[in-house]
Amino acid sequence: MKYALAIHGAPYSSQAAEHALEFIEALLLCDHSVERVFFFHEGAYHGLNGQVPAQTQHVTDLQPRWAALRTQNIELAVCIASGIKRGVVDAVEQQRYDLPSATLMSDFTLVGLGQLIAAIEGADRYIEFPA
Amino acid sequence: MKRYLFIISRAPYASSHAFEQLEAAMVAAAFDGDVCVLLRDEGVWALQAGQKGPAIAQKTLSKVLTALPSYEIDQLCACASSISARDVTAHPELSVSYLDLAQQARLIKESDVVITGQP
Repeated sequence: MKYALAIHGAPYSSQAAEHALEFIEALLLCDHSVERVFFFHEGAYHGLNGQVPAQTQHVTDLQPRWAALRTQNIELAVCIASGIKRGVVDAVEQQRYDLPSATLMSDFTLVGLGQLIAAIEGADRYIEFPA
Repeated sequence: MKRYLFIISRAPYASSHAFEQLEAAMVAAAFDGDVCVLLRDEGVWALQAGQKGPAIAQKTLSKVLTALPSYEIDQLCACASSISARDVTAHPELSVSYLDLAQQARLIKESDVVITGQP
C-alpha cells in the first residue's frame, strides 16, 4: 500500500517524529511504500539545520534517521508557508527575502501545500502525526 | 478526487492552527477536492460574530470563513454541542450546518481523508 504522511509536531518537544519514524520503518519492513513525508505547522522545524538535541533527554538524533529515509527515495517535504515564517528557508527563499543564510537541511526540500494534497491523492492511506 | 474533511478544534488567534488548516483546505479545493470544514471544541469560536483580528495584528478569521465559498468550499459545519456549551453567536454572513455527534461520526466515516493536526 502507498502511504502519505504528515508530521505536525516539532522535533524533541513532541513525540510526532518518533512515532512517525517507527511507523515508517515498520511500513518499509512490511513492503509498503512511502513516497513523501510532509512537514506541516510546527513540524517544519524538522528541516532546520544545526539541531543539537540535549544528550540528557534524547537517546537518538532525529536528523540521521530522516536522512536514512531520504536515501530510500522518500521525499522529505517541508511546507513552504510553515517553513519560511519559522526561518526554515532554502537558498532560493533566502535570496528572495534577503535573509542572512539558508537554514534548510540538505535532505529536505521546501514545497507548496499542493504537494501535500498531491501526495494524499496518489496514496492509499494518509496518516498524520499531530503535535 | 477524494473527499476531504478538515477539522479545526483549537481556538482562533491563540495559535496559527485554524488559519493554517483553512489554507490547506483551500489548496485541497483548488485541486478539485470535495472539501468540508468542521469546527468543534474551542474551534467553534472561529464563527463568533464581532471578531476584530487587526486589534491583535492578525487577519479576522470569520472573514476568511465567509470567503470559503469563493474557493468552492461550500460545506462549513460546526459541532452543535460545542456551540451551545460556549454560547457562540455565529457571524450572520456565515452559512453553517450544525451537526450532532452522530452526524459528525457519519461525516468522518464518509470522508476519504481527515486532516486534524490534533493530538
